[in-house]
Amino acid sequence: MKNIKSIYNTIKLNLTPYISHFILLTFIFLLFTSCTELELETVAEPYAPASLNESGANWNPFVLANGSEISVAKPVDVKDPSFVKEIDSLKNNVVGKLNSTQTQAINYWGAGAVYRWNEIAREMAARYNLPPAANINGVYPVPDPANPKADPKFPFANPPYTARALAYLSVAQYDALISTWKAKYTFNRPAVYTIDTQIKALLPVSSLPAYPSEEAVVAQVSYQILLAMFPGEADFLKAKLDEAKNIGIWAGKNVTSDVTAGLKLGADVAAKVMAKAKADGMGASNNQTIVPGLIEHAKGLGITNTWASQESPARPPMLPNYGAVKTWNFDRSTLEKMRPAKPFVEGSAEFQKDLEELQAIQKGQTREQARIANYWADGPGSYTPPGHWHRIAANEALAAKFSEIKMARVLAYVGTALMDAGIGCWDTKYFYYSPRPQQYGLKTSVGLPNFPSYTSGHSTFSFAGATVMNYFFPEKADLFNNYAQDASNSRIYGLIHFRIDCTMGREHGKNIGSYSVMRAKLDGAN
Amino acid sequence: MKKLSFFLFLCLGLGNQILAQMPNDHVYMAKKDICAALIYSNTSWNKYWENTLFRDNLNLGTVSTESYMLMAAYGLTDHSNLIASLPYVQTKASAGNLMGQKGMQDAGLWLKHRITISRSFKSHVVAGLTVPVSNYVSEFMPLSIGNKATDFQMRGMLTYQIPNTKLYANAVFAYHLRGISQLDRDSYLNGDKMINTSTADVPDAVEASFKLGYLKWDNQIELYVDHFACVAGDVIRRNDMPFPTNKTMMTSIGLYGKYQPKNLGVNARIQHVLQGTNTAQMTTYSVGLLYQFTLMK
Repeated sequence: MKNIKSIYNTIKLNLTPYISHFILLTFIFLLFTSCTELELETVAEPYAPASLNESGANWNPFVLANGSEISVAKPVDVKDPSFVKEIDSLKNNVVGKLNSTQTQAINYWGAGAVYRWNEIAREMAARYNLPPAANINGVYPVPDPANPKADPKFPFANPPYTARALAYLSVAQYDALISTWKAKYTFNRPAVYTIDTQIKALLPVSSLPAYPSEEAVVAQVSYQILLAMFPGEADFLKAKLDEAKNIGIWAGKNVTSDVTAGLKLGADVAAKVMAKAKADGMGASNNQTIVPGLIEHAKGLGITNTWASQESPARPPMLPNYGAVKTWNFDRSTLEKMRPAKPFVEGSAEFQKDLEELQAIQKGQTREQARIANYWADGPGSYTPPGHWHRIAANEALAAKFSEIKMARVLAYVGTALMDAGIGCWDTKYFYYSPRPQQYGLKTSVGLPNFPSYTSGHSTFSFAGATVMNYFFPEKADLFNNYAQDASNSRIYGLIHFRIDCTMGREHGKNIGSYSVMRAKLDGAN
Repeated sequence: MKKLSFFLFLCLGLGNQILAQMPNDHVYMAKKDICAALIYSNTSWNKYWENTLFRDNLNLGTVSTESYMLMAAYGLTDHSNLIASLPYVQTKASAGNLMGQKGMQDAGLWLKHRITISRSFKSHVVAGLTVPVSNYVSEFMPLSIGNKATDFQMRGMLTYQIPNTKLYANAVFAYHLRGISQLDRDSYLNGDKMINTSTADVPDAVEASFKLGYLKWDNQIELYVDHFACVAGDVIRRNDMPFPTNKTMMTSIGLYGKYQPKNLGVNARIQHVLQGTNTAQMTTYSVGLLYQFTLMK
């Protein structure tokens, strides 16, 4: 007992030195926390568009014939008792009664329905961008659209898949908004905050007619396209839809009939666009039975050492028939005419020179080369290069305060150019079936995609994207061209492409992008 | 006792990184004594936990991390030591085509202080900081040499020496307050959420160890078990690669020994991960050359 007591006293006596240590530790702790904060994301905020683009009603859609193809029911007059009742219901149930979730939702979606749904689609692509793992028999199971949540999840949102998903999303939004503008400026029903001054607008006001609600249109059309592309995300997407469609009501802009008409219009456009999507050949894009024929064909062209999967176990090539998917802005014969010429082949001096360039980088890769390679890698778990260019486009259109319809226009032209670039590039890759640098002993600092080398997807995607962006934002052309050149070089710095893959991909991408620009010049929006 | 030089070095690879930890030993350099050391360590693994799924990967084969670390411990007083370390790290994979990485990793500085409770009981407080000293790539896991985040560690130890023997037991508890990792990319997934910035939060971690050992003035042998667990973070998704934001957890056992009859000495360690999540089943061995001397008085 005495012993315990003496220990207790010793502990008590010895507490004093701890205090100074504690103060020092606290100080270091505070110093440390203050210099390790996460960088904050740029928050997109609601804005009044620079222009309402009233002429949008007459712009040319991609899938629909014109803005009148989908009929929208004539709304009742604002003096009609049923409309008055809608206003009363809004005042009784919504005005001044929003909870914090709804208020936050207004600010979030107020940055732009098209902008937000594009962002959601990119996140979705990133979540699904993982190659299936081999099973115990060394076989790679194919993702099953009928069972999207099983392992492997459907889809594997690789760059061609994502390019297509985002293209259909953007086209559907654009076509739906042209139809929306048509209805808005046909019926000219004002926003409720201009009809009843007791209703306060919670988003920047404008003179844009309210019927049908553009937020509801974009929500419904985006929901349906994304659900088709990412069928495992039904609950997540439904929750987004349920929030997004009501933004106009919560913000004091719309009554229920504006939203109901919007949802109907969105659904009708989505059905038209999905009908086109189902017939574009994507279903056959992973046809592996054509592979032996492709290899034989490439050998016939003089590609002696054809591409071989470097994975263990060997993985079947990614979407060997994606090159046959239907393009947006040019036809099949144009695609074949544009196809890049044969790459340098093993044994030639040019091939040797390209190989030696990579060998030199492997020996002495600079930190800046590694940075560029990593920045543009957009590999597994990312939104892919098409997603990266959608992000660039959406942020530029946001900074320029584009209206919903003009934002959608930019994304539709960029998006279709990116999908066309994917198709043109995949056609080229499997036409030549050329080997990767790793078949000549090189390593990679970014990870090796599982498909033939020539041409570089990054180069083709990026220059197609930059070409379209240069058209919409000519004052920033240098910036976009630099982005594209970095993205292209990144594949050399990362050691997975020969220079010829990138220089030819660049020209091909520019060419493909120019067809999208040509179409944009004639769509009535200029 | 004056000849007793010591420092301890624990090298815990966290899936894809080597985290040079502070000396978490209960032995001190006497005032104005210095022990300098060069330690080589090698960590390798061919199986890992993808979240909780224990698997191999034929496209990595065996991943190994070699580290050459300079360390020095200095006796500020008989009860307070200052310890510094600087590691050079290189990685490679035996299969597949991922390029190995190399470079100076995270320099460390620790202050260790002993408070005598009784003849048998001693307590220790340690504060330390490791800071990346080169601009290495953190997002190329599992080949990255580290997760490129500062790590401020607070550590408490309680040592019990069995009276009239050379045997001791040592319990350690530590908290790792970890900073952010600067990425080359400017977007990444954290769980299901897309983050559009180039900084990633490296989760804090707690660590607890229990050790049993024998310590004489010129030699020491110690058996220990260590548990390391992040308090937050996301998991490695199916067939994905690890990332600095992952919620790692692992339990390891290890054996450490030191022999230092005169100024020159050697130490050696072997450590093996028994169980984990979002980490690899690493086996580490290390050998060190020690040199101890007294600063001019």
